Amino acid sequence: MDSRLSNSSSSTHHSNSKKRKKNATANNTNQKTLGVAWGSKSLSASSCSSRKSPFSDFSSYMAHKNCKLQNQFDSEASASAARKPIFSGVSIFVDGFTVPSSQELRGYMLKYDGRFENYFSRHCVTHIICSNLPDSKVKNIRAFSAGLPVVKPTWILDSIAANRLLSWVPYQLEQVASNQPKLSAFFTLKSSKMSEDTFTNALCQVEPDVQDSFPRVGQLKERHPSEVGEMVEVCRQISNESNDISSKKTDVFMMEEPIGERVICDEEKLAEANSSETNNERNTEGELDPTYQEPSTSFSIPCSDNQNVHQFPSSEATGSSKQCHSTLTDPNFVENYFKNSRLHFIGTWRQRYRKRFPTLSTGLNNGISNSNKSDIKSVILHVDMDCFFVSVVIRNKPALFDKPVAVCHSNNSKGTSEISSANYPARSYGIRAGMFVRDAKALCPHLVTFPYNFEAYEEAVSCDEAFLDFTDAMVEDPELLASSIRKEIYETTRCTASAGIGGNMLMARIATRTAKPNGQCYITPERVDDHLNQLPVDALPGIGYVLQEKLKKQSVNTCGQLRMISKNSLQKEYGMKTGEMLWNYSRGIDYRSVGIIQECKSIGADVNWGVRFRDMKDCEHFLINLCKEVSLRLQCCGVQGRTFTLKIKKRRKDADEPAKFMGCGDCENLSHSVTIPLATENVEILQRIVKQLLGCFYIDVKEIRGIGLHVSRLENADTSKQEKYTLKSWLTSGSASVEKQKYHMGHNKHNSDCANCASSHGCIHSQGSSFQIDNKILNIHVSGDPISTPPPLCQLDVEVIRNLPSEVFSELNEIYGGKLIDFIAKGKGKCESSSSLGNSLEDDATCKEEDLPYSDPIPLNQIFSENKAMQHERVLGSGHGSCSQVTHNSNIERDDLLPSSLSQIDASVLQQIPEDLKAVILEHLPAHRAQDFCSTPAICPGRINQDSVGVDTSKNCPGTVNHALNDSLWAGNLPSWMDKFKDSSCLRKLGEIYHRSGFNSQLSSVLPQFLSEFHHLDLTQEIYDETVNIMCELLKQYVKVKIERDIEEIYICFRLLKRFAVKSQFFSRVYNDIFPFLQAAVDDNYGGSLFMP
Amino acid sequence: MQRKENETPQGQAASVLVEFLEVAITAVVFLKGVYPSGFLLPSLDSPSSMPFLFFFFFFFLLLLLLLLLLLLLLLLLFDVGKGAFERRRYMNVVVQRARHPQLRYYIHATVSGLLPFLQKGMVDRVAVVFFNTDNVPLEKFIFKLTVNQSYGSSVEGVDLQISLRSFLAKLSVSESLTKKLPPDCRWEITGNFQLLPETGTSKEANFWIPTDTKQWEQPLFITPIRSMSSDPLCLQFYIEHPSLSESSVL
Repeated sequence: MDSRLSNSSSSTHHSNSKKRKKNATANNTNQKTLGVAWGSKSLSASSCSSRKSPFSDFSSYMAHKNCKLQNQFDSEASASAARKPIFSGVSIFVDGFTVPSSQELRGYMLKYDGRFENYFSRHCVTHIICSNLPDSKVKNIRAFSAGLPVVKPTWILDSIAANRLLSWVPYQLEQVASNQPKLSAFFTLKSSKMSEDTFTNALCQVEPDVQDSFPRVGQLKERHPSEVGEMVEVCRQISNESNDISSKKTDVFMMEEPIGERVICDEEKLAEANSSETNNERNTEGELDPTYQEPSTSFSIPCSDNQNVHQFPSSEATGSSKQCHSTLTDPNFVENYFKNSRLHFIGTWRQRYRKRFPTLSTGLNNGISNSNKSDIKSVILHVDMDCFFVSVVIRNKPALFDKPVAVCHSNNSKGTSEISSANYPARSYGIRAGMFVRDAKALCPHLVTFPYNFEAYEEAVSCDEAFLDFTDAMVEDPELLASSIRKEIYETTRCTASAGIGGNMLMARIATRTAKPNGQCYITPERVDDHLNQLPVDALPGIGYVLQEKLKKQSVNTCGQLRMISKNSLQKEYGMKTGEMLWNYSRGIDYRSVGIIQECKSIGADVNWGVRFRDMKDCEHFLINLCKEVSLRLQCCGVQGRTFTLKIKKRRKDADEPAKFMGCGDCENLSHSVTIPLATENVEILQRIVKQLLGCFYIDVKEIRGIGLHVSRLENADTSKQEKYTLKSWLTSGSASVEKQKYHMGHNKHNSDCANCASSHGCIHSQGSSFQIDNKILNIHVSGDPISTPPPLCQLDVEVIRNLPSEVFSELNEIYGGKLIDFIAKGKGKCESSSSLGNSLEDDATCKEEDLPYSDPIPLNQIFSENKAMQHERVLGSGHGSCSQVTHNSNIERDDLLPSSLSQIDASVLQQIPEDLKAVILEHLPAHRAQDFCSTPAICPGRINQDSVGVDTSKNCPGTVNHALNDSLWAGNLPSWMDKFKDSSCLRKLGEIYHRSGFNSQLSSVLPQFLSEFHHLDLTQEIYDETVNIMCELLKQYVKVKIERDIEEIYICFRLLKRFAVKSQFFSRVYNDIFPFLQAAVDDNYGGSLFMP
Repeated sequence: MQRKENETPQGQAASVLVEFLEVAITAVVFLKGVYPSGFLLPSLDSPSSMPFLFFFFFFFLLLLLLLLLLLLLLLLLFDVGKGAFERRRYMNVVVQRARHPQLRYYIHATVSGLLPFLQKGMVDRVAVVFFNTDNVPLEKFIFKLTVNQSYGSSVEGVDLQISLRSFLAKLSVSESLTKKLPPDCRWEITGNFQLLPETGTSKEANFWIPTDTKQWEQPLFITPIRSMSSDPLCLQFYIEHPSLSESSVL
């Protein structure tokens, strides 16, 4: 019995496998299995069985298995009775753990005419069901899903519950949602009416029709794969409708059913939709691009906010160029930012307006002063455009006249862009300005949004409201006048306006409120009280949210209630000004008069959106642009400012990424400001000040979320110019005497071609680096001077100099020069004594400053060389706390203090200058000019160079060469020895190699190459003592520069040198000469000698 | 308080530096072979792929068995072959870590005791000194540090680590630069302060005692190993040893 049983079972197994084999051969498998990708269970199972199975390879086995499973499924499906074909055409594949389990899902599919695939196949599966995906699959979603929809299991359950196939789109897996394309973008706002109809029609149509039409969409998709990728979800409503269809479309498309001949008119519609996409493009680009720039964030956002966010190719004639909306990506961020800013537009219109009608406003002013005097009943008309921004947009689109329309940056339904203006149909939905688009769309899904169109606004009218004073006009019927004005406005601009007439500005404004939309209202003085009584408090201008809340707490909701409160208690509660304002306003009292143009107290620009920096360079670049903007604004207003405030929004430590996209979020507000003696609007000066201010923050640039620059203490540009002029003329007169004396006093900065100019530049350099260590205020003065090549002495204290009569000044100059010589004679170590002197008088201060560098030339060199590298490194001999300040300052000044050309230096003047000074001056001359002279092949990178020009200067004053040599062979971006070595043919080689390797590289990397090349030269040429000396000097200074910070480099260099000393006589001489010096230097720094094996 | 200090670039640099020093000092000690280093560990560590020759299969099997038995015996009974160090990865470089808890603690405690002083920039150099039996220093491995106190912007810890990594890499191949130590030597970690921390003012300062290390009478020699100068940390690593005459005497 037992044996028989087993026997029979084996026989069935046998027959089974036979059948299986048969099936496998019969079934032509073009099914590409992805079994490997779909989990280990299949693999392990198959590999185990494959050994003894009759299948030739894995794929045939899988094919067979699939086939059998299908058969099994089919038989089971046919067995289950009374099924509804909900899922007909749907074939699901379940990936991973789901609730309900895959077996349950399989049961559902059996029941409702769907298919269930055990193994994924591109050709059979239409939907992938899963509730969670591993990160790797999310990242590579296309490889994973092969473009199929990845849907949550609830889709199936809900579909069954609804007894019809629901759209899968809302059930997309959140992780994936951001990646999946949608059809919805094809159908856009402009044709919304049309397309809506079409779609509702389509939905009502019988299934086959729909299916027929959608392969077209599929084809379209194929034709424009790029466009498919660029689809943008435009409108919730439409997308909801289209989603259904699109899901079906994909079904059809995936199943590769033959396309029916009946192609209905959809093609046309689609073409239309396509064309409307052009319009859509402009709408969407605003906010969408940045999200595309950061694909990583799109994964983390669970909602479908970033769906299909892509950038449109600007193939259309709209010419909309790619816009990046973060400081990270857009080099012209500031410019674009303000170009797209509504608030900026509104904020600056006044200036533009004033520029356009300068006489008009002054005329008004006069009128007002009159009217104020006379106590006759005033009539003020307030004209306000109805939802200005929107009406300008829709005035050319009558179709949208009664549709809810809003203007904002983005039209993404989940966007966080703020609505700036909405028309009355939209307002009836509760949409208000300042709302996020997201919320607005929730309130009103039909809402049509438009981007700003600033040119059109400008074109139409400059701003959307105006107060007119009719008191003097003696108009008998103000209402008639108002209506005529409104009519005229409508005729010229095709935008409607509302008008309010009242006894003062407040009442006129309140009247307008009642009049809107497109109406007018006259509140006569008699009716003021009635009108105000029931007016809610927040209708009063100047009462914002906070104040309203406070009032509400006191159960004050209307002006009538507000009137009950005494003025005193109001002032007590809300402060003097606000209290009085409340008291007055609640009684309809407004003392303001029309046309008073408030002089702006400060001018500035803030950018609090999209500010993200990677590093200091980004930040500086941004600041430069911001300075340009502010400077432009200053120039527009024709004013100059003296106080500069830099405000920074710094991300709070624990703040999350802000809700508003690229917004500033939760921030700390920091600010620093400086005041300079002379008002300016100069961009360069602004930039320098701002750079310096930024330095005061000690902030990680990555934390910066917003930057604002404000200029206050404004002065009229004309008057300040005059001031400058007098100062300048006075200065030039002073400079004459200076020139006579041939001392480089540097008061004559204005004749820029004079040699003195150059010399004092040199001095001020040293001053900038050393003096400002202990005098920060002075340093602000220096850097803040408005003239681009400023007279440094005057910067030190303009007040003092201004008060000096010119005779006294020139006399002082003489004394000063004499002192200078004394200082030089006294030599080193006198800085202390002179500093006390210098503090007493500004002029003396410079004197001392000039002295400083000579007493201690090495640290000075270091300052400069380190400046070049833009590193705040430790400076020899100066205190830790101050050294970064030093480098910073000297950095700032270098730009404007350098003489523009060496040719501007008068050789005769130069020769009169004491040797030490001469050396320093030459040291600080810009190398790019020096190169003109000696035709160095090297191109200097950047703007900063202070190389000494040894060869060049030797023509003029041979005495200086040694000084220059001693101090600064290694100073500068382009070390000066390269010039020096031009004379010597063999050493020039070194310069060339060094040049090739990039100037900042270390000598050790250059040396081997040079030595190998030098070997050839060595044979042909004799060795001159001079060459050896120069080489020694070069190495000595290299040791000096490097010994403290990079002993390894020195070690490598000298090991190399020693090695070559064996081969080359030249190097053995050099080595022998330099070695004692090296050991001494090492001993000084490290208390030992270098071990040279 | 601790975290607040770490926010300054100096603090950041110092904490990275402390970590680095711990590893580097261990590496120096390992390099000098003061403690026995394991001989079996490398063979265990590196996965060796044997040539699969059928011929020698049984032979190998036997050999392996024998070896395994031996190894087990050694490991279990004598604790041999493990050495004083174990291989670890630090900043993606293979480094050694002391196995003995006391040794590990000594290095760790010493270096982390330096942290507050490093932050203030008071430490001039940290030295690992090797003495012979007479307490005469034979060789000093010196880390000369400069922490720029005025450096303002934040430190990229990663950048710093990468540059510090090169020290470890260089150190591991610079055995030839050093001298062979005689047996029975001892070693210590010393720190050179720019100014003596006042004892009693802070708890940290009390950990430090003045060293009685004898100074060399002869001029010493320096062999630089590695230098790094980047803000806010500038680090020089070199070996100090007495002049050759003395070393030949020893």
